[in-house]
Order: sequence, then structure tokens, then C-alpha cells
Amino acid sequence: MKNAYWKNIFTNWGKEESETVTIIKRIPIFANLNHKELEEVSKLLHDRIYKPDEYVFKRHAPGEGMFIIHSGIVNIIVGEASGNSQVLAELSNGDFFGEMALMEDEVRSAAALAQDHTRLLGFFRPDLEALIEINPSLGNKILQNLSKVVCTRLRKTNELLMENQLKKKNK
Amino acid sequence: MNNNDKNYIQLIYRLIVIVISFGFFIIIWPYISSVVTMLIFAFLFTTILLPLVDQLESKIKSRGISIVIVTISLITTFVVFLKSFASGMVSQAREFSKQIETKGYDDNLNSLSTNLESYLNKYINIPDIDSSNFVSKLNVMVGEIIQNLMSLASAIGGFIFTTIMVLIFTIILLSNYYEFKKSIVQFIPNKYFEMGLRVIFNIERQVSKYLQGQLLAASSVALMSFIGLSILNLMGANLTLVVFIAIIAGLANLIPLVGPFAGMLPAILIAIMNNIGFDVAINHQIFNTIPSPFYILDIIIMFLIVQQIDNNIITPILVGESVGIHPLIVMISLLIGGTLIGPIGMLLAVPAAGILKVIGVEIMFLRRNAHLL
Repeated sequence: MKNAYWKNIFTNWGKEESETVTIIKRIPIFANLNHKELEEVSKLLHDRIYKPDEYVFKRHAPGEGMFIIHSGIVNIIVGEASGNSQVLAELSNGDFFGEMALMEDEVRSAAALAQDHTRLLGFFRPDLEALIEINPSLGNKILQNLSKVVCTRLRKTNELLMENQLKKKNK
Repeated sequence: MNNNDKNYIQLIYRLIVIVISFGFFIIIWPYISSVVTMLIFAFLFTTILLPLVDQLESKIKSRGISIVIVTISLITTFVVFLKSFASGMVSQAREFSKQIETKGYDDNLNSLSTNLESYLNKYINIPDIDSSNFVSKLNVMVGEIIQNLMSLASAIGGFIFTTIMVLIFTIILLSNYYEFKKSIVQFIPNKYFEMGLRVIFNIERQVSKYLQGQLLAASSVALMSFIGLSILNLMGANLTLVVFIAIIAGLANLIPLVGPFAGMLPAILIAIMNNIGFDVAINHQIFNTIPSPFYILDIIIMFLIVQQIDNNIITPILVGESVGIHPLIVMISLLIGGTLIGPIGMLLAVPAAGILKVIGVEIMFLRRNAHLL
């Protein structure tokens, strides 16, 4: 009886980290976060299931936040759905997309389409704003990570642009 | 069966479902109305207190302790206010009755009532009181008084029960607000998920902004009324319970249109009670020209100035265009709210209209961008 009592009280001790924490700790936006902070973030994530060929969001739809792929495949598509669309990237387990919507209230620049039975974890702007209010140091860490991700993307885009311009000059 | 027929059948099916749901709602409404009202109040209190709890949590790193601190301070403020208000009112009433007795105004009042009765008797036939009938009438009257007291006691009991329940709901909502919101959001279909989040977020922001703005505006009205009443006191208005009059005026100001006038009444009442029998107050004139017995006109003008400052400067800055509803819609919603659930309905009418407006705007946005879903 006594054992059961103590077992009940310390039920969370030695408990393995949740599946969600295991996934999100690999995401650059949640880098440098300690276990407690990761647990706090995981409470804010929305677990969503998508069928094959179901849109996660369409291009020009208002964006509210980012998605992390728990399992499955998601295609990022640019161009019009009517014909000249092009798959920009095929994302799978542990990848993330739509992070720009965390920082600005703008429409989506590309569409995201589930290719398979897909499980996504959504992290949205209102929740990030609430997190910044409640736990500013954690919110600050996420914002810093987010700006690092955006900077890396920008640098890569610049490199691609310069490569293209060089190619054009050489031609 | 072609597509048109299918659509037609779907439409009929939807209509039937809507009618049945509406009928079901009307049947069960009497049983759930009190709980729904409690939940609405709990939600409103949560919306007001949430930023405070969040701020405190960011400082002391514990949501539980933050909620306890906020709740205890709120209850203490409320109890201290009620207690000092009640004791202030009792001493005010005692003072008033003493004043009447010492100055012999009771005789004056009695003679006034006798005169009035004889005067009325000339025009209206008031039946003489039959002494044999009087005892039975007195019995009936005592019975009625006891019945009224019992219903008053049950109303007070009901009020206390409702207050405790609202407090419990508010504490639960405050401690699990984000989890609660998440559990509601999970029922939104994928297609409307981000849009749903957007609508909920906008409603939340609108209501919170509106309520906090209104509370700030009420505080500023209370502060300005306090300053105004103090100035009137310097001019010799002899007003007591100034802090309470100012707080009541601020709270009454939360109800649009009707509130500001209701807020003036306690001040006028206390001015009459305190100045009865003082010739200076009875014969008081504004700028030695306009007669203002008991400083009533001064009080009305002071409150009108406060309201003008509030309506034209403070509320537009604090509440701003957060709700942005046409004045006609405000009046209609106030009438509907007042008719449905009385003064509380009037208090809730404008934020409710604001919520409906947000939903309406989002539905319009959804219709325009249906191809994006």
C-alpha cells in the first residue's frame, strides 16, 4: 500500500520523454531548449492527421503558423494548381515548413499537400505570442532560433541568386 | 440523379438538421441557461484576468501560485469594498435620521403628509381605515413581508452560489486556459483549421481588448468623478462617501447609454441627504444666476463633463476602434440584451455584438477566399 502511494506521487520521475519532445528537440527552432522548456512547447502543439492528397494549406491562404512532420510525407508546391504547378520540396519525418507565418500575418507563398497518411504538429503564432508573454526567456530563445533559420534561408537564396546571375553572365 | 438534385436534397437535409437542433436547443435551454450564464461570466473574468496571471507567471514561474495570488487579491478587494461601503451607508443613514430627528424635520414631514392626504381627499376618495379590518390586513402584510424576506434570502443564497460557481469555473479556466483552447480547436476539420484558429484568436483579442479598455475607461471615470466631487466639496457641496460614489459611477459607466445617468443618482441622493435643512445648500445658485438646490445641477454638470471627457478622449484612445460597431447597432443590441437578461444583458450586449461582428467579418473573408480552403 505504502509503495503504491509513493509510486503514485513520483509517477513522473524517471518517465521517458514524450514522443513529441523527441521530435521537436531536433527542430532548429527549438534548439538550445532544455527538457522543461521542450515540454512546455509540446503542450502548445496541435496534433493533426491528414489523408493522402489532402491540402495542409493552399497558396495565398492566410498563414497562422508552422507545421512539423511527425510522420508521413508533405509536398511543397509552387505555381497555380491549374497546371503549371511545381513541387519545390518533398518533406518527411522531422522536417518543418510554414515557419514564416510565425513572424508575419501574411498569406502562404506556397501550398503544402500531404502525399501519404501524415501526422503533423502545428505551432501557431497566437500560441507563440502567449508563450512570449508567459515565459519571455523561452519565447526569446525561440524567436532567436527562428531568426537564425530565416537568415540561413536568406543566405542560401542569395547564394542561389548569385549563382544564377553568374551563369547568365557566362552565357 | 444529377448534381442539382443532389444539392437540393443536401439543402433539405441541412435545413431539417438545423430545425431539429434549434428545437432541441429551445427545449433544453431552461435547464442549461444558468450554467451557460455562469460559463459566460467565467469566460469574461478569465479574459480580463488572463494577462494578469500570465504576467505574474512570467515573474514567479508558477501558474498555480499566480492564480492564487490574483484570486485572493480580487476577493479581498471585493470584500473590503463591500464591507466599507455597507458600513459607510449605515453610518450615512444613521446620520441622516439623527439629523432629521434633532432638527425636527420628522414633524415637518408628518405635517406634510397629513396636508397632502387632506389635499388629496378633496379630489380622490381615500377610504377610511376600518379598525376591525386593520388587524387582518396587518396579518396579511406581515405574511407578505416574511414571504418577501424568504425570497430575498433565497435570492441572496442563489447569488452566493452563482458567485462561487463562477469563481470556481474562472480558476479552472485560468489554470487550464491554453489546454482548454487546444481541446476545443482539435474538433475543427483540417480544411478550416487555420481559419478557425484565426477566428478564435481574433474573437479572443477583440473581447480582451474591449473588456480591458472598458475597465480602464471605468477606472478613469471613477478617478475623474472623484476629482470632480472633491472640487464640489471644496465649493461647499458637503458630499460624503465620495470614493464609493466615484467607484459606482465608474462601474455604472460600463453599461452604455443608461449607465452614466444611473451613476449620477447616488451622488444626488447623498447631496440631498446631507444638505437637507441647510438654507445655503437649498438656495445655492450656479454663478449666482441658475438655481441649483442641494447642488444637484452642479453634480449633473460635473458628471456630464466627466462623460464628455470619457466619451471623446479616453474611451476612443483606450477602447479605440476595437469593437467599431455602429451606434444604432449598439442601441439595438442593448435593447435586445436588456430585454433578454436585464442589466447583465446590457453589460454583455456590446461585447456580444463585437463577437458576432468578428464572426461575420471572418465568414465574409471565408466566402471571398473559399477557393483557398
